[in-house]
Amino acid sequence: MIMETCLKKVMDAVDIETFFVCKDEEEGRELALALLEKFGLKDTDIVFIEHSGPGARVRARGYLYRAGDQYAWLEGEN
Amino acid sequence: MNKDKKVLLAPLDPVHDIGLKIMNRALKENGYETVLLPPDYQPEEILKAALDNEVGAVLISRTLGYGVAELLSKFIDQAEAVGLREKVKIAIGGMGIRVELAQELGYDAGFGPGTVPEQVIAFIEDREPVLDLSGAIKAKKDITTGYDYAYANKRIEELLDQIAEKTMTWAADKTTSAIQRAELRRQMLELPEGKEREEARKKYVELSDEKIRNFYENGTMPPYTRPLAPQEMADLEKYVETTKSQMRMKKLQKTDKNPTVFIQYGTGCPFMDIAHAKVGESWGADGVVHFDPSWNARAEGFLEGVLTHEQDGTIITWENLQKIKESLEPSTLWQVRAHRGLNTPETVLLAGKAGADMTKINVAYGSLGGGTDPARLTVDAIQCMKYAKEFGMPFDVVTNEELCGVPAAKAFAGMLTTAHIAIKMGCRPVLQPLFVYSPEVMITGEMEDNYVDFNAGKIMALRSIINAPIWPGAPIGFLTQTEDRVQSSLSTAMHGALASSLGVEAISIASSDEAYSGGPIAGPSRIDTLTALKESFRFFGSASIKPTEQAAVIAEKIVNGIIDTLEKALEYETFPVALYAGVYGSTAEGAYPGRGGKGTVVTK
Repeated sequence: MIMETCLKKVMDAVDIETFFVCKDEEEGRELALALLEKFGLKDTDIVFIEHSGPGARVRARGYLYRAGDQYAWLEGEN
Repeated sequence: MNKDKKVLLAPLDPVHDIGLKIMNRALKENGYETVLLPPDYQPEEILKAALDNEVGAVLISRTLGYGVAELLSKFIDQAEAVGLREKVKIAIGGMGIRVELAQELGYDAGFGPGTVPEQVIAFIEDREPVLDLSGAIKAKKDITTGYDYAYANKRIEELLDQIAEKTMTWAADKTTSAIQRAELRRQMLELPEGKEREEARKKYVELSDEKIRNFYENGTMPPYTRPLAPQEMADLEKYVETTKSQMRMKKLQKTDKNPTVFIQYGTGCPFMDIAHAKVGESWGADGVVHFDPSWNARAEGFLEGVLTHEQDGTIITWENLQKIKESLEPSTLWQVRAHRGLNTPETVLLAGKAGADMTKINVAYGSLGGGTDPARLTVDAIQCMKYAKEFGMPFDVVTNEELCGVPAAKAFAGMLTTAHIAIKMGCRPVLQPLFVYSPEVMITGEMEDNYVDFNAGKIMALRSIINAPIWPGAPIGFLTQTEDRVQSSLSTAMHGALASSLGVEAISIASSDEAYSGGPIAGPSRIDTLTALKESFRFFGSASIKPTEQAAVIAEKIVNGIIDTLEKALEYETFPVALYAGVYGSTAEGAYPGRGGKGTVVTK
């Protein structure tokens, strides 16, 4: 199954949670946003990030749809 | 297989056999003769026992780990070698076991975590399992049942009675354009197509703001708003139909003591709201609350049609409400808020006609923190109460002015004043104190030690005043939650456990991304907090959280503060006049009487 097909089935947003081994919050933020971009997500943001010691715990989000968009998972029903 | 043959239960495991013991009891209760072997038997010993007892089925259990798949696969080979495989049914169960894995290893069935005995018995009997879904079948609950609104604090009742009487007398000959529009909307919905209905529509438009008039007269949409296309509507219908056929609703409550749980929706798009509501229902939410955009509330007049909106809050139209209502499960409580703004009577009317179970009517918060003129909101609120009574809808009265900085005692005085007017009108109000880390406690430090006492003190105070339903919100734990998924879910779960412990009727909960302000709430974040809450109900069961002695001190302080506020309010002509004067929350405390609709109350 190709990535595009999977993303079409996402209700609204993809959250990626992980731990980056990095020097500070800024680096963790950059890594998270870059990772989302690799997944093909454009409308991205950091929901939560906390750096301590070895790295940063991150909750990064890419919106597939916002209110008012046309939802591909809805189109797929017919 | 019939019951003439025995069932062999064998843990192919050095230690674990709990699952098989549970299954053994269930089989015996269902009339089967069983042979239960102890742990740590070799495959050869198990196969010998199966042959010696001429069993009809073998149930193996094993916790999955390194090399275990090979062991399980080998067992099937050995069974084949001794001629057992063709004669008996062989199944495997345990942690980590999945149906696909069992099939891959050569077993007739696989039972993983969450398996109920009926599934195993059905396997033995070659039939489909008849699952007991009663736990997932919900009944719609009226959270006001059992409350008689009797006052235990007679002084407070006496003060409220006098304030309510003066206010209701003052409002009796007053009206507003919102009240007139609500009646016109009723005609637009109830009259048959024709001249009379067109006349009502024309008058409605005349009584609306320019932005709304432009919509009706020129078809101009407000910014970021569009009608949903016919194809989208057809797709939605199909989506709702398919989703409804798949619904299996979880139950959050572990005991009858656990409160009814509401989630809030208002993504801007009724379709996405429906999608979120279905997620919420599936994961156990008992009710959903409709959030509308503030501009929608602040304009005089409502729009029409199935409309989507790119920003927070879903536009209230008759058609949007109908679509949402149609999508909900029969047991789901549905609340439409009418607690601030210039269209509150029409909101309650539309909610009632669309089949809402509850609404939200308010004066103090809507005036002091919601931007609506106190006199306008009071007159409109009384009309809202008439509609709520007509449609049999209970409603909650919020105290969100606490978020502006108003002390709990003053906010409670405002809530009780509104609720008392409602009680006198024969309505069934629900008190909604906040479970919140409010500006008041940030300043006083009353939550420095814990988040329990102040919230418990609030409930104890209200209980000592009146026998009324209590629904903390909205959402519980507000301002204690961060953008961290675990922290926010845990905070919700803890506040939910406290609410349950205090025996309240209902709670509203946040999603695990409620504190994130960069974008809309995402569907999966709703599941986080519902799951966490379910776990807290499971953890505490009928046990309780015990507040410290400080809770009673706080409760007494709140009750005294309410009396003090009401005594001052009584010095003024009416409830709204006291609101303007800052009795229920002053500008110094962060409460500003709203200006929306100022000067629009007229004598009939």
